[in-house]
Amino acid sequence: MTPGKLVFKNITRRRGRFIFTLLGIVIGMASFVTFMALGGSLKSQIQKESAALGANLVVTPKGSCAYEQVSILTGEQLPTTITAEEVAAIRAIEGMTAIPYLAERSAIDNRPVSVMGILPEETLRFKNWEVAAGSYFPSADAEGAVLGSVLAEQFELAPGSEVRIRGTLMPVLGVLHETGGKDDLTVFLSMPAAQQLYEQKERVSYVAVRVDRLDEVDLYAMKIKDAVSLGVVSDKQMLGSVLSIVGTVNMTLQLIAAVAILAAAFGIVNTMMTATYERKREIGILQAMGATRGGIFRLFLLESGIYGLLGGLGGAVLGFAASFVAAPYIGQNAATSFVKGSQTSIDPLLFVGAVLFSTLVAMVSGLYPAWKASNLSPVEAISYE
Amino acid sequence: MSDAIIRTERLTKEYGRGATLTRALRGVDLEIPRGSFTCIVGPSGHGKSTLMHLVGGLDRPTGGSVWLDGQEMFRLGGRQLAALRARKIGFVFQFFNLLQSLTALENVETALMLAGVPEARQKTRAAELLALVGLAEKAGAKPGQLSGGQQQRVAIARALANDPPVLLMDEPTGNLDSAAEAEVMAVLEELNRQGKTVILVTHSSEIAARAGNLVRVRDGMIEADPAV
Repeated sequence: MTPGKLVFKNITRRRGRFIFTLLGIVIGMASFVTFMALGGSLKSQIQKESAALGANLVVTPKGSCAYEQVSILTGEQLPTTITAEEVAAIRAIEGMTAIPYLAERSAIDNRPVSVMGILPEETLRFKNWEVAAGSYFPSADAEGAVLGSVLAEQFELAPGSEVRIRGTLMPVLGVLHETGGKDDLTVFLSMPAAQQLYEQKERVSYVAVRVDRLDEVDLYAMKIKDAVSLGVVSDKQMLGSVLSIVGTVNMTLQLIAAVAILAAAFGIVNTMMTATYERKREIGILQAMGATRGGIFRLFLLESGIYGLLGGLGGAVLGFAASFVAAPYIGQNAATSFVKGSQTSIDPLLFVGAVLFSTLVAMVSGLYPAWKASNLSPVEAISYE
Repeated sequence: MSDAIIRTERLTKEYGRGATLTRALRGVDLEIPRGSFTCIVGPSGHGKSTLMHLVGGLDRPTGGSVWLDGQEMFRLGGRQLAALRARKIGFVFQFFNLLQSLTALENVETALMLAGVPEARQKTRAAELLALVGLAEKAGAKPGQLSGGQQQRVAIARALANDPPVLLMDEPTGNLDSAAEAEVMAVLEELNRQGKTVILVTHSSEIAARAGNLVRVRDGMIEADPAV
């Protein structure tokens, strides 16, 4: 016999209560892990998109707020208020590369997709794209679409087939190599074709800018602001503000999970208190056999710790499973659209952390019952009928 | 000084205070000879169990002292008292108080664990102890599958885990029929022959008649000198 075995025998003798208490912790921890996993993958996906943008500065319509900044990273539809003159003025500034984008939405088979009007040659170089199949835009105003790899696969489109964008059937010219970002889920059109299709005469949504000398980013931001009356954000600012939104969302979700865990913790307190009363006599016997108060305290603490350990393991497994299942179903709005397909790995640190956290919470919950148990006097415990 | 394994001096125990003050023991001077078979008898509510709890170090007195094998018990702190209890005294109670989720063998093993016997040696020793009380073949049975007499014998085997010199029992046969009582008494008498000091609190005059040493408790005091 070891203290561990004794505790395990005790814990499993009331199977129903054991399972229900455990379920409380499993569910609490599972919700916690799900939210953490989704939040974590959301964050890393945003960082990836920000890097994939390849820009140091982004020129946005004046007064654009964090929502638009999120939309730039997610490929949402954006107001098109930047004129051709403004684009020309920005592109005239030397020492930097400026690439305009027209960000629109359409639907293929009733499923929403991002449609992006681009300057074919400049964007290809800017983003270091490679064409995986078919060909690229033959000219700056070519008709036809180039597709992101995931989108092409999803809708079974290949060079030579046709795709209907905003009611107009157009040929698929080529498919890009996978980039790992939202470009994989985008339909690219040449800028003139896109502007015509969406009736946006000479207007674009935003301009991505890469400066030649990184240490002069602030200087170029000033130069752009001097040249045009538009908003300019650095990639770091944009990332920061988007991450802070995501952080708030994450924190809210984690708060909900914390309430679930708290409720489970009280479940443990309740179960352990019941066990203390139920085993009063046994506690007296153990004391008569020479168990010290510390020994009794440790036995009970170990018992609640086991609830936490098993609950943490079950919760982590269930939580990761739920995050895999949930990710594709998460809504279509800008802030959560990153999550789609982004949950592809289990963060071992989160797994271990969740199990440790759960064990800790359970042991803290067990402190009071364990203290009560260890403070029973042997006589009181034995006389208990 | 005579060879007393347990000696008490002006031992008092009071419960409550003011109007509800109950004086369970009113100054008990007692000597229990080493190797004796001692019965503590007396009417209910006159302090037998309180005396037993104090002698066993399960409770602390209001006044007076108890020496166990030359050691003054209540000068010790909680941890040392628990250790002394484990080393010197094996307890058996009226309600067998076995851990219901464990088998007979595991119940004895638990006591060995508390006594600090390494797990590897527990099984053999526990089996020996069960054999000593004649229950070798019931090692795998849970308390619910054993008769009252058998359960009490498991409790005795458990009390012997530490090889204590003293066995202290509160009505060990109080819940048993006469056949089971005979079973248990036979085991106790055998243990006494092997040198254990057996102390038992009982209501039964038949059992008391078999004791070598009789202590009568009445109104919280020892009624007459024990006949040795």
